[in-house]
Amino acid sequence: MALDSLLGGFADALTPVNLVFALLGVLLGTAVGVLPGIGPAMTVALLLPATYVLEPTSALIMFAGIYYGGMYGGSTTSILLNTPGESSSIMTALEGNKMAKAGRGSAALATAAIGSFVAGTIATLLLALVAPTVVELAIGITAADYFALAVIAFVAVATVLGSSPLRGLAALCLGLYLGLVGTDVLSGQERFTLGVPQLSDGIDVVVVAVALFAVGEALFVAARLRRGAVQVINHKGSWMTREDFRRSWKPWLRGTAFGFPFGTLPAGGAEIPTFLSYATERKLTKHPEQFGKGAIEGVAGPEAANNAAAAGVLVPLLTLGIPTSATAAIILAAFQGYGIQPGPTLLTTEGPLVWALIASLLIGNAMLLVLNLPLVGVWVKLLLIPRPYLYAGILMFASLGSFAVNADPLDLVLLLLLGLLGFVMRRYGWPVAPAVIGLILGPIAETNLRRALAISDGDLGVLVDTWFSRIVLGLALVALVGPIVLRLVRGPRATPEEVQQTGALQHPVPAGRDRGEEDR
Amino acid sequence: MSTAAGAPAPRADGDPPAPSTGVAQPQGRNTGELVMAVLLAALGVYLLVDAGAIAVPGSSNTVGPRFFPYAVGALTVLTGTVLALRVLRGDRGPSDDSEDVDPDAPTDWRAVAVIAVAFLAHALLINVVGWPLAVALMFAAVAWALGAVGVVRPFAIGLLVSCVVWIVFVKALNVALPGGTVLEFLTDWL
Repeated sequence: MALDSLLGGFADALTPVNLVFALLGVLLGTAVGVLPGIGPAMTVALLLPATYVLEPTSALIMFAGIYYGGMYGGSTTSILLNTPGESSSIMTALEGNKMAKAGRGSAALATAAIGSFVAGTIATLLLALVAPTVVELAIGITAADYFALAVIAFVAVATVLGSSPLRGLAALCLGLYLGLVGTDVLSGQERFTLGVPQLSDGIDVVVVAVALFAVGEALFVAARLRRGAVQVINHKGSWMTREDFRRSWKPWLRGTAFGFPFGTLPAGGAEIPTFLSYATERKLTKHPEQFGKGAIEGVAGPEAANNAAAAGVLVPLLTLGIPTSATAAIILAAFQGYGIQPGPTLLTTEGPLVWALIASLLIGNAMLLVLNLPLVGVWVKLLLIPRPYLYAGILMFASLGSFAVNADPLDLVLLLLLGLLGFVMRRYGWPVAPAVIGLILGPIAETNLRRALAISDGDLGVLVDTWFSRIVLGLALVALVGPIVLRLVRGPRATPEEVQQTGALQHPVPAGRDRGEEDR
Repeated sequence: MSTAAGAPAPRADGDPPAPSTGVAQPQGRNTGELVMAVLLAALGVYLLVDAGAIAVPGSSNTVGPRFFPYAVGALTVLTGTVLALRVLRGDRGPSDDSEDVDPDAPTDWRAVAVIAVAFLAHALLINVVGWPLAVALMFAAVAWALGAVGVVRPFAIGLLVSCVVWIVFVKALNVALPGGTVLEFLTDWL
C-alpha cells in the first residue's frame, strides 16, 4: 500500500515543472546551507518566503530540496572551513577537517556526500514505510494523548537536547509566550496584544524564526567577528579509494541505524545520534590510531546519522503534526501557511501531496549526490565571501522574507526586537530551538488541552485517562526531573560531550570545561 | 592554508585556539544573564497578571482562554527564578559557537548598535524610498560596521543585489514589495 502511494508520489514529483522546483530547491538549499553561520533551520527559515508564491505541491517539493540541500551544505562547510561550526555536524568537522588538512579533503567530502545519500535514501524509504502504520496507530488517539505528546516534545527539546536544561526551559517559556500573543482561536479573545492591532493575528512564525536564527546570528557574529582572512582548506586530493569504500559502507549503514530512530523520537534532533555514531565507529574501527587525526569512518558514520535523523524527524511531523526540531517546526509553519495541518489525517486528506513530498525527497537526495561533488568548487567560492558582505546579505534576505509576509514595516521592527532577543539568548547560551518549538507547538498543545478538558467538564484527570498519555507524561516527567536527580546524586549531568570525553574521545570544543566547577 | 594534521589533542593545529568563553569576562556574563533571568521571571509575572484581564465569554463553561496563559506564566516565573538563583551561584551557559565567531574577542557593542540602528532605519524607510534603496543603505551600514573597506563599494554591491532581488521577487514572483519611484518607473515595461 505504501509502495503504491509512493509510486503515485513519484508520478507527481517527476513532472518537468516539479523536477525544476526540486532542482531549484536543492541548489538554493546547498548554496545557503554551505554559507558559514547558517544551519539547516536558518536555511529553511530564510528560504521559506521563496515558496510563498508557488502552489502547495511545487512549494513543498522545492522545500524538500531546500531541507536536504541545507543538510548537505552544512557538512561541506564543516569539512572545508577551518573553524568549528554547529553542533550536529561537529563530529564531521572534527574528523573531516583533519582529513582535509592531511590532503584528503576530496575523500572526506565524498564519503560525507555518499553517506548522506545512502542514509537519506534508506531513511526516506523507512519514512514511507513507517508513516502509514504510525497514522493507523495515531488515528485513535485522544486530545489528551495529543497534549501529552506535545508536553514530551517540549520537555525533550528543552532539556534533553541542550547542555543546560534550565536554559532550554527558559527559551521554551519565551516561545510559549510568543505563541500566546494574538487572538485565542477557541474563544476569539485577544491575549497579550498590548492593544497593537497588528498583533491580534499573532506573531508570524517566519518573523520569529528569521529573527531568532538569522538576525540573532548576524548580531552575535557582528559582536565577535573573527577578523582576518577566511581560511578554507584545499579540497584537492584523490577521490575515495577502494579502501575508503571498504571502510565507509558499514559506518554509513550504522549511522543510518542510529539516526533514523533518534530522529523519530520526540527527543529527536541530530546531535545525539551523531555522537553515538562517532563513539561506535571509534570502538569498532581497525584503525583507532587515526581517530582524531582524520579517520574516514568518523566522517562517514556521523554524517549518515545526521541525514538519517533529518528524515526521521519527518515521521512525527507528518503523521502526528509534532515538530521535534527547529527545522521541523519551520516546515510545519510552511504547511500551515498553505492551510494544511499536519496530523494523523494528513495522509488521507492530503495523501498525494505527502507522497509527492516523500518522492521528491528521494529525488532531491539523488540530485544532491550527482550535483555536489562536481560543484564543490562553487561551494568553496561561497565559503570565501567576505564576512561583512555575507552578514549584510543575510540581513537583507531576512528583511525580504519578513516584509513579504504582510508588507508591514512593523514586522521589521518586531524582527529587530526579536533578533536582539536572539542575540542575547545566544550570548548567554540559551538554545534557540526550544523557543521556535514552543511558538509553533504551544497553540497546538493548548487547543488539545482545552478540547480534552471540555470533554471531561474540566476534570484534569482526563489527561491521564489512557495508558498512552500516562506513559508519555511519565516519560516527560522522567526527562524533566531525571537530569535534576542525576545532578544531585552524581554531580552535574553527563552531556553527550562528556560521554565523549569519558570515552577518551577528542572533541574540538571542550564543552564540558566549566561544567565540573558549576556547582562550586 | 593550514598546517598538516597534528597530534590528536583538540585543536592542536596551531590555528585559532579552542573557544574559552567560560574563562573570559565571567563577571560581565553573569550580570547580564542574571538580568535576563530576572526579566524572564518578570515576563512570567506579567503573563499571570495580564491573563486575569483576558475577557472570558460567558458561553465557555469549562476551561477558557485564561487557563493556558496561567500555566505558562507559572512555568515562566518558576524557570526565571530558579535560573536567576543558579546564575547567582555561578552557573554559566555553554558558549554558542559559530564558524565566524572569535571566542576570545570582546563583545563589539558598537557594531551591534550600528546594525540595530541601521536595521530600524531601513524598516522605517521602506515605504518612503522603496525596499531596494532602503535595504542597500542598511547593507552598506552593516558591512561597514563589520569592517568592510570603504563605503561606496558596499553600497554599490548592496544596491545591485537588492535591485536584482527586487526584480526577481516583484516582477517574476509577484511579491508585494515597494520598489521606490525610480526603479518602479524604470521597470514598468516588464
